[in-house]
Amino acid sequence: MIEANTVIGTGMKIVTQRDELAQKLGVVARAVSTRASVQILSGVLLRAESGRVHLAATDMELSLRSSLEAQVEGEGSVVVPGRLLVDLVRLLPDNEVTIEHRAEESVVHVTSGSSTSTLHTYAADDFPRLPDLDAVGTFTVDRESLLDTVSRVARSASRDESRPVLTGILVRFEAGKLVMAATDSYRLSVKETELSGAVPELEAIIPARALGELGRIAQTGESVELGVHENQVVFAADDVWLTTRRIDGQFPNYKQLLPEAFEHDVTLPRNELLDVVRRVGVMVQRTSPIQLRFAEGELTVFARTQDVGEAKESLPVQFSGDPLEIGFNAEFLREGIETMAEDEIRLRLISPLRPAVIEGGADDPTYLIMPIRLPG
Amino acid sequence: MFVFGAATILHADLDAFYASVEQRDDPRLRGRPVIVGAGVVLAASYEAKAFGVRTAMGGRQARRLCPGAVVVPPRMSAYAEASKAAFRVFDDSSPLVEGLSIDEAFLDVRGLERISGTPTEIAARLRREVRERVGLPITVGVARTKFLAKVASGVAKPDGLLVVPPDRELSFLHPLPVEHLWGVGPATARKLHERRISTVGEVARLPETVLVTILGRAAGRHLYALAHNRDPRPVVVGRRRRSIGSQCALGRSRKTPEAVDAVLVSLVDRVTRRMRIAGRVGRTVVLRLRFGDFSRVTRSHTLPLPTAHTQTVLLTAQWLLSCAKPEIERRGLTLVGVAVANLDDDSSLQLVLPLDRFSGTALDVALDEVRRRFGSTAVTRAVLLGREQGFTVPLLPD
Repeated sequence: MIEANTVIGTGMKIVTQRDELAQKLGVVARAVSTRASVQILSGVLLRAESGRVHLAATDMELSLRSSLEAQVEGEGSVVVPGRLLVDLVRLLPDNEVTIEHRAEESVVHVTSGSSTSTLHTYAADDFPRLPDLDAVGTFTVDRESLLDTVSRVARSASRDESRPVLTGILVRFEAGKLVMAATDSYRLSVKETELSGAVPELEAIIPARALGELGRIAQTGESVELGVHENQVVFAADDVWLTTRRIDGQFPNYKQLLPEAFEHDVTLPRNELLDVVRRVGVMVQRTSPIQLRFAEGELTVFARTQDVGEAKESLPVQFSGDPLEIGFNAEFLREGIETMAEDEIRLRLISPLRPAVIEGGADDPTYLIMPIRLPG
Repeated sequence: MFVFGAATILHADLDAFYASVEQRDDPRLRGRPVIVGAGVVLAASYEAKAFGVRTAMGGRQARRLCPGAVVVPPRMSAYAEASKAAFRVFDDSSPLVEGLSIDEAFLDVRGLERISGTPTEIAARLRREVRERVGLPITVGVARTKFLAKVASGVAKPDGLLVVPPDRELSFLHPLPVEHLWGVGPATARKLHERRISTVGEVARLPETVLVTILGRAAGRHLYALAHNRDPRPVVVGRRRRSIGSQCALGRSRKTPEAVDAVLVSLVDRVTRRMRIAGRVGRTVVLRLRFGDFSRVTRSHTLPLPTAHTQTVLLTAQWLLSCAKPEIERRGLTLVGVAVANLDDDSSLQLVLPLDRFSGTALDVALDEVRRRFGSTAVTRAVLLGREQGFTVPLLPD
């Protein structure tokens, strides 16, 4: 064991800029595993090679990699506890940082100005193998189109690990457009976005969490590189590579979930409705519903939680016919309205026990939401 | 000793419940030793118990002890029907009825003297009515506390009535074997016997600290309180269950994953249907497994929202089962059970999208209605066709 360490880690030594290192480490360390069970996954892999230091972290579902220029005085690689290194580098006193691996002692020395720290390391050859980026063919997608589409559907993705397929977002590139869909089985978001450049046809279920990370990483730039390699999906943006596992399985056939006809089609001012739903929603606790009561010319939003309180507020609407009362999970309703950008949104209803649809403008997603069955 | 209150709590317990229902429905079985369940003994009539046959005993051992016994398969729906009829009698006897299981309940008859008579009279009438209206023998214990009422019915079985007057509680309790104390099973009894403690009175003479040392903190304190006849729990009307579940023994031979999955499907069908009938929803899906060496594990997963939706519970149970796959392959599987816990009323139920075409909330509603009208076997899943539904009937204590 000691021998192996000595061979692999011999003498990695780099001198680099503190601020860039801190920034890149901060990004990469987001993939550091928070599970205590596999220690090596709590580390960041540092690899020094021909004038650059490469950083990598993974929790086995998601990996993040980046690199920066460095004066490489000794090539090699080592795994350093991720959180610790991030916290340390950020606070170093001098602009220049030296990191030196002492393989025989299984430590790295981090020096900067008057500060010297010694961190215990893990063996680099215990670190999981990450997909070879050179082997992945990628294509270019407009950054804003991609990220906007993600952000409009991501909230409908499930966070329940017992439904792996639903924790992903269905991503499909087809002639001239990008389609994404997400559902947690209580609501469904679908968005189509026109694309200007040519893209290959592609369909994959990608973990919603990975796409959320992509949004945090790709803050600037015109485009994002995207590629699929075996069961991995690769994104490159702003000097950072993100790889994530594709989710196996069949995504629900969402098209057949969208009703073809509705009984009511109510147009509402987005911001006003959102404010009302937020205010009334304060009275919602646990699983109690928020109720929409439609009557001639008026919508009353109402919520009551036993032993807590109740709230109601009315809005004028174009509504005619028999009164209709429908209940929703307050959070689901609010998030549906929030994902619309248009000033006027449409609430399309069939009956109190059938799915409802929220729609906005052409660039808005379609948001399908199942009601809560009201008592009585 | 000065004692508060009067003996107004009844513990009503149907005798050898499953076996008695069989004897009621088939006159040829009356007066003969009857064993319900061909594999494990689910219930034994008193005639069979006289030969030493006990609930949960292996079928082979039971037949060896009692070669003349008639072994019949369980008929859960008949037992459920009989239980409902008995509970109707309970409900007619007192407004305060706390069901404990399919065959026993506590009743508080305090304040009913002018309307229905003394507790003893009410208990006698209840026994007569269960005999007349349901056709089953029942034993009733009457005492000031739930614990004593239950001990009294245990002592009075079968087909008996025993009243413990408040001033005779300790003289009734202390000579009894420790096994009569609530919570004393074979393991606890053995620990006590090893220290030459065999009666409740002997337990009562020990300091609490000694009992805690022998049995652990919770059990020690519990026993100390019971031996001193302390049980302040009131009868709680319709105390509701904390989980709804069903389980199925698989036998000792290896089962294919498909066969296990089919069992899981049928269990979830049953459990979620019962939840919907009871108007309950739950968030935590619990998978119980018993391996080839009869050791047990429990795996559970809590969902984001409460549900009684068949497909949602099934997918969760299947996921839990897939997580346990390596262990099952290594150790074999002899029992699988599914329960839904963390229960709540379904008064505001979040409906579910029919994600895989035939799985929405509407399907559950339609199937429930078919089963309500035409019986629980009227509709079944294709994967379950031709498979015997060997549900494990809950074992009731002897």
